Amino acid sequence: MSSVATGSIPANRGAAFSWVMILLPLLLLGVCMMSKLGMLDVPSGMRGALIAALLISLFMTGMPISIALGLSVLTFMFTMTQVPIVAVSLKLFTGIEKFEIMSIPFFILAGTFLTQGGVAKRMIRFATTLIGHWYGGLGMAGVVSCALFAAISGSSVATVVAIGSILLPAMVEQGYPKRFGAGVIATSGALGILFPPSINLVIYAVATSGMNPIGPNGQRVSSASIGELFIAGIVPGISLAVLLGLTTWYQARKNNYPRMPEASWGERGRAFLDSFWGLFLIIIVIGGIYAGMFTPTEAAAMAAVYAFVVAVFVYKDLKLVDVPKVLLSSAAMSAMILYIVTNAVLFSFLMVSEQIPQSMAEWMSAQGFGWMGFLLLCNLLLLAAGNVMDPSAIVLIFAPILFPVAVRLGVNPTHFGIMMAVNMEIGLCHPPVGLNLYVASGIAKMGITELTLAVLPWLATMIGFLVVITYWPGLTLFLPRLLGMG
Amino acid sequence: MFMRILDRLEEIIISCLIAGATLLIFVAVLHRYGSTVPFLFEYLHPIDLTWAQELCIYMFVWMAKFGAAYGVRQGIHVGVDVLVNRLGVNQRFKVILFGLLAGAVFTGIIAALGASFVWDLSDTDSRSNDLEAPKWIVYLAIPLGSSLMCFRFLQVAFEYWRTGDVPHGHAHVPDAAAEGSPA
Repeated sequence: MSSVATGSIPANRGAAFSWVMILLPLLLLGVCMMSKLGMLDVPSGMRGALIAALLISLFMTGMPISIALGLSVLTFMFTMTQVPIVAVSLKLFTGIEKFEIMSIPFFILAGTFLTQGGVAKRMIRFATTLIGHWYGGLGMAGVVSCALFAAISGSSVATVVAIGSILLPAMVEQGYPKRFGAGVIATSGALGILFPPSINLVIYAVATSGMNPIGPNGQRVSSASIGELFIAGIVPGISLAVLLGLTTWYQARKNNYPRMPEASWGERGRAFLDSFWGLFLIIIVIGGIYAGMFTPTEAAAMAAVYAFVVAVFVYKDLKLVDVPKVLLSSAAMSAMILYIVTNAVLFSFLMVSEQIPQSMAEWMSAQGFGWMGFLLLCNLLLLAAGNVMDPSAIVLIFAPILFPVAVRLGVNPTHFGIMMAVNMEIGLCHPPVGLNLYVASGIAKMGITELTLAVLPWLATMIGFLVVITYWPGLTLFLPRLLGMG
Repeated sequence: MFMRILDRLEEIIISCLIAGATLLIFVAVLHRYGSTVPFLFEYLHPIDLTWAQELCIYMFVWMAKFGAAYGVRQGIHVGVDVLVNRLGVNQRFKVILFGLLAGAVFTGIIAALGASFVWDLSDTDSRSNDLEAPKWIVYLAIPLGSSLMCFRFLQVAFEYWRTGDVPHGHAHVPDAAAEGSPA
């Protein structure tokens, strides 16, 4: 799927190792069963640890994340609780019976229509006429068009595919080193999960909704809404785009990369008008939600229909006969995410029933961990998880655990969500499981190791930005507060 | 032959569900704003679309269940495969087979539990809030979807055992991502 052999384990040790990978989860399952049958007494404090060990051992076999989550919860319910096990299958339905969750398939559908519909190339042209004559012209245009495309699609990977497959060949043709181009696109594409609409922010809102944990002064704090998170993502998104642009500009100037001839205002105007239909989607989604015309899910559905009309009837880049293919691939993508969502909902049910977040929060505040220390810990944990897991799965698993603790220590729910999103962006851009890297390497026909070196300057910028986002809540919360949203 | 029909049917069902749900919400929103226009009010007001939201949710849950089964066939369910990919081809074989069979076990259990749950529910008169559809029909998605998914896991496992090939790919990037990955 999305990994590469960075080094092989010798065959003789590999054989033993592969047996361990299979037997470990079975062994842990056996321990749980024995405790059920009363043959083994598992102290209640150890039960959480036992299930966590089972979950991790299942993850390590490479089976789908959703299946590993589901099997762990099933084992837990069956061996350690009195909850009737039939409730699990019911929860698999009721867990996603929320209208907010349904914005995910709509945003994915809209994004796929736009990716296939020729919106990307018009945005690239607009961005190129705008700033193509600066140092690193096409590279800068890449950052801007990634940011624009991110603002109409909710996914990073879609952004890399849409922009990269057009811009990378153009950059190579103009004489840019391939690694420079691939580095720009792989990292700028990550803006997709910070700029609204973002599927990751929807997932965060869904994963934490209805938790209403206790704040530092004992009051209940409500979770962040999708609308609030979308608005809060704007300023950090633009700041990160500017920083990535500066990194690009600095490198291009140092190496004296080619610049484009400056475009006239007439050309700029025409390019803007041509890309206007795509750009207007930003207004529909953000404006519609903010003005209270639509709920986020309705806005997503409107966006999907609008994207269909633009792709098929306005730009005519997508033929009507290809629409079923778009529907099918969007449905499959959404189903995959929704399937993880259902199993993660089950998992957070387990967390709540074992009171893991609460006891973690108690422990943290007893240790005198301030919010600063906690957020540092969160960042390290999330970056580590970003090494091996897909962003939506990370948010689904970690948000319900970390969110109550964060609120307890006085962190704003919206700020925490944006911080997680920036973390996920970094995770997308570094090996071994940075999806953006794989996509970019496929487009640029470059090896992962080479590409890893190529993204380093931008990756360093992003990590610096993560520190700023983490310890300067004002940057995130400024716009929502200005608009009176919390 | 039977397999081809099943494959096609699966694809048609999920495509129609996502398209239908999108149109449904689009129409519901148009209807809401259309009703505020005086000229259209008398035509649109009598049409009641309060059930649209509930139907949309049910359509997507069904899409998610059947789409998950389709996803097994396409290999789009992501896992943590860092460790597995570092193993040699022969060692990798049994671990991947174990993962696929574990998927079959989980979805099989869920299908059985779901079936017994739906069976009990079909004796009651429980109905959904807005649509007033019998709940057991709505919840039929779980046993049906999970059985299909279980079948798909077994099918993929059998193919893997026979040929050593496992479907892989990310829905967004059909061939681009595959190049860097030996999995």
